[in-house]
Amino acid sequence: MKILVTDDSRVMRQIVIRTLRQAGYDDHDIIQAADGKEAFDMVAAEKPDLVLSDWNMPEMTGIECLEALRASGSQVPFGFVTSEGSPEMRDKAANAGALFLIAKPFTEDTFRDALDGVLS
Amino acid sequence: MTLSHAQPITELLDVETVQSIADEVWPSLVGDGEAFVPVPVAPPAEVVSAWVTISGPWNGAVVLTCAPATAAALTENVLMTRPPTVVDDEDVADALGELANVLGGNIKSVLPGPSALGLPQIGTAPPTGRLDDVRRLTGQWRGQSLTISVQGVTVAPHTERNEVPQQ
Repeated sequence: MKILVTDDSRVMRQIVIRTLRQAGYDDHDIIQAADGKEAFDMVAAEKPDLVLSDWNMPEMTGIECLEALRASGSQVPFGFVTSEGSPEMRDKAANAGALFLIAKPFTEDTFRDALDGVLS
Repeated sequence: MTLSHAQPITELLDVETVQSIADEVWPSLVGDGEAFVPVPVAPPAEVVSAWVTISGPWNGAVVLTCAPATAAALTENVLMTRPPTVVDDEDVADALGELANVLGGNIKSVLPGPSALGLPQIGTAPPTGRLDDVRRLTGQWRGQSLTISVQGVTVAPHTERNEVPQQ
């Protein structure tokens, strides 16, 4: 399976990828995008099986990317990995069609809890 | 009575909450067994800061400050680099900014909302505002000084200009 990791921080993309591997998802293809716009374009071009996205990003935010994907007809599974996990943001994410919201800081267990149903 | 000015951060956030957030952030981002120890040490002569702004009922910034060498060491830990790999300035800005971002996101979540978090910035810390609008946690990581400052802005944001002036 192919996972698209989207974050404007290269450091955070590396941490997410490392945590995916530590959580046992080390046999998946991982591709990266640096903002929501790039992620939107890569969903069409690369057809990932899952998008993991930050919320706050320049150019296009994660929630704007998700809304644009759904408006374009894409039903790619989408989850947030973000430093903000307020109930309002979780509601907004769910209403837009996100499967989960992982709040930073996270552990490999947090990833397993969120991803097991999606990637197994 | 309705307050016509925003509550200062000292009425909204205690230092224990800041410490508990740091207690979660350090092992997750900096590495297993790593900790922000709330025991101050001598402040460094030269410092660098990373911060994110919070805009909402409370307006200010969450600022992480340390010596440049400490920032580089934190980055090496965050990225798990090993010699001879060295981190560059871009890595340090990114890693310190992400630490501030995650601290800021978690602090935002315990403040009154709705509010918005800005993107991470790095450089010389923004000036602090009112003396009672600063919540500061000083401590150390591996013996090196670190400060987390949750501080109000010095100038009232545009949206508050029509409020009744305070004495």
